[in-house]
Amino acid sequence: MANQKSKTYEGLSSAQDIYLNRSRRARELKAAGKKIIGYPCAYVPLEMFTALDLVPYRIYGSIREPVTEADRALPTSFCPFIRSCLDLALKGKDDFLDGLVTAHSCDPQHRTAHIWESCVQYSYTHFIDMPGTIRADSLEYFKGQLGDFKKTLESFTGKKMSLAKLKAAIKSHNQQRALVKELYQLTKPIPPLISGTEILQVIKAVMSLPVFEGNELLSQVISEVKNRKDGPAQKPARLLIWSSTLDDTDVMQIFESHANVVMDESCGGFRPFRAEVKLTGDPIDGLADYYLKEITCARTFRQATIGETRKDYAKDLQSRFGYLKSMVKDWKINGAILFLVRYCDPFAFEMPSLKNYLDSIGIPSTYIEYDYSVGALAQLKTRVEAFMETIG
Amino acid sequence: MNFAGVDIGSTMTKVVLTDTTDKVLSAIKGPTGPEHRQLANEVMKSALEQAGLQLDDISYIVATGYGRVNVPFADEQITELSCHARGVYSIFPNVRTAIDIGGQDAKCMKIDKGKLIDFVMNDKCAAGTGRFLEVTAATLGIPLQDIGDISLKSTKKIQISNICTIFAQQEVVALLSRGEKVEDIIAGLHYALASRVATLARRLKIEPDVVLTGGVAKNSGIVKAMKESLGCDLLVPEEPLLTGALGAAILARENYVRAREKGEALPIKSRRLDKATFYNNGS
Repeated sequence: MANQKSKTYEGLSSAQDIYLNRSRRARELKAAGKKIIGYPCAYVPLEMFTALDLVPYRIYGSIREPVTEADRALPTSFCPFIRSCLDLALKGKDDFLDGLVTAHSCDPQHRTAHIWESCVQYSYTHFIDMPGTIRADSLEYFKGQLGDFKKTLESFTGKKMSLAKLKAAIKSHNQQRALVKELYQLTKPIPPLISGTEILQVIKAVMSLPVFEGNELLSQVISEVKNRKDGPAQKPARLLIWSSTLDDTDVMQIFESHANVVMDESCGGFRPFRAEVKLTGDPIDGLADYYLKEITCARTFRQATIGETRKDYAKDLQSRFGYLKSMVKDWKINGAILFLVRYCDPFAFEMPSLKNYLDSIGIPSTYIEYDYSVGALAQLKTRVEAFMETIG
Repeated sequence: MNFAGVDIGSTMTKVVLTDTTDKVLSAIKGPTGPEHRQLANEVMKSALEQAGLQLDDISYIVATGYGRVNVPFADEQITELSCHARGVYSIFPNVRTAIDIGGQDAKCMKIDKGKLIDFVMNDKCAAGTGRFLEVTAATLGIPLQDIGDISLKSTKKIQISNICTIFAQQEVVALLSRGEKVEDIIAGLHYALASRVATLARRLKIEPDVVLTGGVAKNSGIVKAMKESLGCDLLVPEEPLLTGALGAAILARENYVRAREKGEALPIKSRRLDKATFYNNGS
């Protein structure tokens, strides 16, 4: 089947190839003199790299590589994803990276950043302090953070980040967001034209490439999949996966052996591309607004109203999860898997409310925790199958 | 027509053979053991012998449990959650909630007319499972089958604060050296397990009738501790280990009959008791 695919769909097979050899292009670019900057989180404004001709490279962990080295440096009972990211770095698997930019998306990332920067020698590191809420004063603070980020990037590259360059970069990344949204249009038909597994490969590939190359790949995939006649088979359910990170096709295939995954609301899926950056006079304003408010990661606290002394729960749920309602309708979703990496506190705290919200809009859901390791997949399979039996 | 349910759990393998009225023709339990991938055929053979049947006499076979993908002669795989739900319902028609405590997991199921409608399972550690009792009983040097009755003799409430099996084991040693009575310590362990499982179960809305199944339900001390932790009465089937296999056999009949009525073809495997080759993730 893989051979058949490579004959017909160049874009998809190229995405699969990059997915399997993620760092190859970055290594080539480095050999050609480019600087590659790693980032492990969707809160890092990639536009600012692109504006200075730096290549952003999304850092992932690996569920296939047991964490060994990182356990020397970190406590063991917290986020296995970030432990795995550091572990791979300590093992030299990301040795082509010139720099590392982290954001205070959650405490494990914040605390790990210090250790990471001291254990691995990079030419450039920067830490962005993310406010925890979307209030107006948070936004002002965050603009200041992005101003600092710009300054350190300028001093690292010895180049000035002009308004024109930053605006052009925003346009390119907005184009990428538009293309990803177009890609997800292709899961709307019944059956979908593209599988969740294929989308995962495409998105992960795109996050390993400079923006222009990523956009080319996306365009190619979209044009070939649009007219496809041999897409995924129709399965009994159309699922939404809501997760912090879902970055391995083995996991996705467990979901897809019983259902069509039509929406992957995770960090390596739709989430970083859901909205777009507004082009403002000072581009930093638009970037700050987007990265603070539009990335629907559980780490940010969203309140329906500020200053009310009594909470209206239904209103609160609506403001936190309302965006899922149209998703469910537009993609004809009939089940949701709330897929949690173990010890991920921000996402775990969202679960009871999110489940209530999904109940209120009539979507059955199940909450599954996993260890970010291939060893945990047999248990995962039982839980997924049992959930499918409850909605089937 | 006859049907079979094969439940390969982490600790025990169970086979139930039934007829068209869901009457149990034979029921066999055997340890799953380290060879569990290959033993399903042996347990099946015993069950067939007991019922005086040949494998060819079985119209449809459903496998369940963690080892469900390792039964080469099974026609269909269904998770143990749905199978338990169906099996428990056949014994207790008013069941709304079932709690199953097995060798390596604990699960709570919401059931509507025999159909699984919601569930929770424990995370992977041994706390809240049969293994917790196995390990701690071994520390005390008491046979597993005796600990339930011994715990009922307890007169003093001892709180075991550690949920982790290994730490609880250390806590048991410390309590022994402090001179606490064995029956009180065992009762404390039972309450520790029961409260852990009850907390898990409360993530679902517990509605009566509540049924307790799994090997651990054979332990009278656990049944008592679970009743107190949940604050409600509990029904326990005569054979709490067999509800999964029984449910699998009943679902085998239902799926077989439904397919026949609709004129759909069912994928029937060859009726040979082959050894399973290797776990392949079911793919």
